[in-house]
Amino acid sequence: MGLGRRFGATWAVRGMDFEVPRGRVLGLLGPNGAGKTTTVRMLTALIEPTEGTATIDGFDVRTQPDEVRARVGILTETPGLYDKLSAEANLDFFGRLYGLDAATRADRIEHYLRLFSLWERRRDVAGTFSKGMKQKLAIARALIHDPAVIFLDEPTAALDPEAAYVVREAIEGLRQAGRTIVLATHNLDEADRLCDQVAFVRGGLLRIDSPARLRGSLAGGQVEIRLAERALDDGLLAIATGIEGVGSAHFDGDRLVVEAAEPSRVTPSLVRALAGAGAAILEVRPAATSLESVYFEVMGVQPGANGEAA
Amino acid sequence: MRRRIVATILRREFSETIRNRLLLATILIPPLLLTVAPLLLGSVIGAHSLPPDLAKAVLVQRPEWASFSPAELAGAFAVQQFLAFFLLMPAYIPLAIATFSIIGEKQARSLEPVLAAPIRTSELLAGKALAALIPGVAAGWLTYVVFILLASVVYGPHLFVVVSDPSWLAGVFVLGPAVGLVSVVAGVIVSARVNDPRVAQQIGGVVIVPIIAVTLLQATGTILVGASGYLLLAVIVAAIGLAGLRLGVRLFEREAILTRWR
Repeated sequence: MGLGRRFGATWAVRGMDFEVPRGRVLGLLGPNGAGKTTTVRMLTALIEPTEGTATIDGFDVRTQPDEVRARVGILTETPGLYDKLSAEANLDFFGRLYGLDAATRADRIEHYLRLFSLWERRRDVAGTFSKGMKQKLAIARALIHDPAVIFLDEPTAALDPEAAYVVREAIEGLRQAGRTIVLATHNLDEADRLCDQVAFVRGGLLRIDSPARLRGSLAGGQVEIRLAERALDDGLLAIATGIEGVGSAHFDGDRLVVEAAEPSRVTPSLVRALAGAGAAILEVRPAATSLESVYFEVMGVQPGANGEAA
Repeated sequence: MRRRIVATILRREFSETIRNRLLLATILIPPLLLTVAPLLLGSVIGAHSLPPDLAKAVLVQRPEWASFSPAELAGAFAVQQFLAFFLLMPAYIPLAIATFSIIGEKQARSLEPVLAAPIRTSELLAGKALAALIPGVAAGWLTYVVFILLASVVYGPHLFVVVSDPSWLAGVFVLGPAVGLVSVVAGVIVSARVNDPRVAQQIGGVVIVPIIAVTLLQATGTILVGASGYLLLAVIVAAIGLAGLRLGVRLFEREAILTRWR
């Protein structure tokens, strides 16, 4: 609650208030320097908040940091593996740090190395792995002690598309297994695909909601109707604007774009009226809004403006 | 402090050290040289006698050597110089290991996941410090044992007594670990500020300067440090090490590592 952290005179982030239900995935979205990593570090009890506090699995990050650390797993921005040690030895080291007995360590090491298709390479030193393999090994390391919450900080940053795909698939697998995950990223597509909730962050919490609701909030009521022909232009516009609840209508290429406060309420009447007037309707859909559009709206920036506030 | 965690850190540090060829060479080559060099020097100098003035000065400080023949006195004086070199091992090896270890972790950014585990910074520091200190001190001790065994064969019983007298024992077994502690502390402090192990070793190498000074003083016959002298030095050096450790612990705090180590 009211989580904030100051470095010197500068606040990296403050006023962070959110809750992640068990088994859900929260995405922290924001530009570089927005405070995502600082938030993750506070929530994993790596650094102490300057103000406010947070509880992880019932333990306070400020007053019970050891208990919090025992219950979280973290994938840091860089894998941070011991390159001269084998995949197996890397995991074994962390298993020991978390106090796992030898049998549990052996079981979990085998389980996660098999899960991430690294079992055959278990005796190879991590330094010989590709970036994607290293990232998967780092995720396995974050899971070795079966944490209540997993924090993934920029898990696909600096990976090529193939490696990023492999890592995203691994995260998707964790999501389907019901893990509670906090995913800090600036990859909007990744957040859209993987997260139940998205929190926009820039020096503080700007907005938090599900990706669908965020998109819906920006769409602001538009219906796009794709037509096979435009012979009845003026007539169709008149018909559309004559329907109760429709604000305005215009053509955009072969699409009739209708503005309405509540698109779902007016769409059936609209389609009936247009079809009745002889319009050849190919497709009807709410105006597509990407999370990217929402991002720019929430951040108050224009695409291509180098991240400067509009 | 939980010994289990310290042992885990120690085990991992050793695993990495034995896989680092450059570091391994740094640890193994000096002991080999220091075992062979005194024997070679002794075989040369032992055939000569010291200049009369130097022989007189040596006997003033070491009256127990009065019964030695001129050749034995020359040999005793020659091998005495090497005690200081045995102190270089616990000075240099821990410095090399500590700087490689800490700067290596900085470069690989591998400390953050470790600090995210339920580990105290004191446990992490203790594990790293021991992993650096043990090989240096062990190398010094082991080389010394090999050296006195060989000396007893090469130089005979008189010089065996010289290299195993209380001053040598105090120097190797008491002052050596104290020097090692200062060296580790220097390695920790310098490594927190720089990003190149070689630069860290050059800066941290300042701890070796007093040992070189003692070597020079001994070589010129200005002073021959006895057992009590080495014990006194050990107390002073250990006190410096412990004082420096407090600064090292502060630099090793979790937040300092994450937010200031660049």
